[in-house]
Amino acid sequence: MIPLGLLSAGENGEIVEIMFGRGAAQGGPDPEHEKTMVRVEEMGLRIGKHVEMLTNGGNTILLRVDEARIALARRMAMKIMVRR
Amino acid sequence: MSTQLKHKDEELDAEVSGHSAAARTITVAVAGNPNSGKSTLINAIAGTRLHVGNWAGVTVEKKEAFFEFGGRKIRLVDLPGTYSLSPYSQEEIVARDYLVHERPDLIINVVDATNLERNLYLTVQIMELGIPVVMALNIYDEAAEKGYRIDDKAMEEMLGIAVVPTSATKKTGLDELLATALRVADTPKQRAPKKLNYGEDIEVACDYLAKSFRSSYPALIDHYPQRWLLLKLMEQDSHVMKELGLDNLDFLDQALHHLRRAHGEDIESIMADARYSLASGLTHEVLHKPELRQTELTERIDKVVLNRFLGIPIFMGAMWLLFKLTFDLSAPFGKWIGAMTDGPFKRWASAILTPLGAPDWTVSLVNDGVIAGVGSVLVFVPVIFAMMFFITFLEGSGYMARAAFVMDRTMHSIGLHGKSFIPMLLGFGCNVPGIYATRTLENPKDKVLTALLVPLMSCGARLPVYVLFVGIFFPKNSSTVIWSLYIMGILLAVGMGLVFKQTLFRGEAPMFIMELPPYRMPSLHSLCVHTWEKGKHFLFKAGTYIFAVSVLVWFLLNLPWGVEHKRDSYLGQAGAAIAPIFQPVGFGNWEAASSLITGVIAKEIVVGTMGEIYAPKKDEKKDVPTLQEDLKEVATSFGAACVTAAKTLLYLPQAEEKEEDQGGLKVAILGAFTPLSAYAFMAFVLLYMPCVVAIAAMRQEFGTWKWAGVGLFYQTALAWTAALIIYQGGRLLGLGG
Repeated sequence: MIPLGLLSAGENGEIVEIMFGRGAAQGGPDPEHEKTMVRVEEMGLRIGKHVEMLTNGGNTILLRVDEARIALARRMAMKIMVRR
Repeated sequence: MSTQLKHKDEELDAEVSGHSAAARTITVAVAGNPNSGKSTLINAIAGTRLHVGNWAGVTVEKKEAFFEFGGRKIRLVDLPGTYSLSPYSQEEIVARDYLVHERPDLIINVVDATNLERNLYLTVQIMELGIPVVMALNIYDEAAEKGYRIDDKAMEEMLGIAVVPTSATKKTGLDELLATALRVADTPKQRAPKKLNYGEDIEVACDYLAKSFRSSYPALIDHYPQRWLLLKLMEQDSHVMKELGLDNLDFLDQALHHLRRAHGEDIESIMADARYSLASGLTHEVLHKPELRQTELTERIDKVVLNRFLGIPIFMGAMWLLFKLTFDLSAPFGKWIGAMTDGPFKRWASAILTPLGAPDWTVSLVNDGVIAGVGSVLVFVPVIFAMMFFITFLEGSGYMARAAFVMDRTMHSIGLHGKSFIPMLLGFGCNVPGIYATRTLENPKDKVLTALLVPLMSCGARLPVYVLFVGIFFPKNSSTVIWSLYIMGILLAVGMGLVFKQTLFRGEAPMFIMELPPYRMPSLHSLCVHTWEKGKHFLFKAGTYIFAVSVLVWFLLNLPWGVEHKRDSYLGQAGAAIAPIFQPVGFGNWEAASSLITGVIAKEIVVGTMGEIYAPKKDEKKDVPTLQEDLKEVATSFGAACVTAAKTLLYLPQAEEKEEDQGGLKVAILGAFTPLSAYAFMAFVLLYMPCVVAIAAMRQEFGTWKWAGVGLFYQTALAWTAALIIYQGGRLLGLGG
């Protein structure tokens, strides 16, 4: 299990966990953060989904989920755990 | 639909609503995901009948159209594109409040057939409202091309809603969609969407809640869509709870007790999962994909366009092209409009007014106030429409989303979204379309911050001022001096971006998440409709502001009555009054101050006003052309403008225009300014308050004077400070005063 943000371009993975909360180290719970993660789910990045990393470089990554290409901040991608 | 059937339907409808069906306007709300082709579909149906406004109180765009179809009146309301109906964004709240409170007769749910599962997630939520739904299974042609087979009949069966395959770009299925919509709207009782089963645990809890709620709040349950309300209560949706004024319902805890024990505390996630598995299950049932997935064209283009090293150069190239095409193509037409308002229109106005016995001052008001003022706005029209056309093309083709992706990193450092780069770049041509282009940003905070920074980009209207002063004081290194002013604007924008990020727009930069739609060739029709939509605001509203201001300025320059010398006009007096403010920055004379005041209308007017003040025009006796000659000139010069535009496009060389003789003005300016104060003056012109058109644009985009006011204030303060530093710093360094 590794964070989605660490997959390299061309790699595939299955989403196994999405971390909604924010750890104490990052300042505790944050409704804004939770909102963003809900948005992630609504755009189709859900547990059990197979994703393909299209580009991974810089602070925004590009994924393919089903037929959609989703661009995502790396910070968010680090909160999504995948199995290769 | 046969007449007989229609007749029957009308009777039914009369029973249901008590109105005569034919007279009733059917309200149809259109809902769907972003990128589902929803706006293309609406444009294809409604075209120019579309009215664009804002939803009350928010800056979310509201589009509406009234039209007739099959002899019936239809009101089409476009809801903001959303992925769900959760209360997490302004768009979602707007869409959902409309559906819950306005209760349209029907919802057309636009679904992207190439991306069924995610789109059905919204469908499932829409169906909770109990309003009849017709699904437009859009982008059906592309899905078929990919080898997808979608069993739309099975989908109708399972959801209990009508499904019509459509292709908005090819305009197929649209008539059938509307005919189905009418049929469904006429028989709402029989057409209510199926109640989908969310799983036993949720349904049991829901039933329990229904009973308790009905006995405690019988009025509420009839006021809202029942199923939707119950599900929202179970989710403890903060927005709904607040609206209803409910909290701590003890029977809610009882209802959810078992659900919580079996599935955990987070009911909202449980519900989201239930909805998603319905969408997912349905997709598996009805969609047959080919075994092998071929790499699509979109992916192949993206490999190049989003490449780490090529991405930014490609983006720069695309922007350069956009810029070049916009200004080169529109410039001849802008000049044509300028020449028309300056020549024939004024002559015609005099020709009409003078024989009517209008006094000289009326003629002057019409010519120098109204025609000159409104004309100065009209010259912007070609550039704005050209720019909007190319922006629309970039948006429609799918490249705009890529540009945001590529620029996100760079813009992030000054607290902006990747997409903000585009308005800033456009600002170099003209700040006004730059401000209007902030419309493409979703986040209101990004919009405002970007619009506040756009006027720091040195627009084309400042150039005549630079050219005049640089020609007089820095003839040897003119391009370096002008370039330094452009750079000054950019650096200050970065600086101000950082300042705003720390003050007015505190908090983390919004996290980037967006869908990159597949590349598509937008149709000419939809390009034109969207261009018109974006540009007409400028034409109508900014036009009225500038009209009022031009009349005002005319009066200021010509009052008190019978004023002989410009110095004694109200404008001259105002200039003299504020001149001391400019003493420390090097140009504390009434002439400079007055021209800065008029420059507020449009910065190039600074040059015009200086011309009038320093070197009053001699009365030249010119041959006045006849009406016929004028009409001929109007036509031939328009033809010439077309030729010039075409030549520019083909990079053919053009004859240089002759510069006007400004000898008298140059001598006067040489006496009034030093090189140092001239540079301070140019910096001030670059930075001080945005022109009224830009301010009007900000007022329009944000629906309040607040941000226009902030822009006006901070820029003027910035301009004065910068000019002070330049002038006093320069003097300290011994550059002369």
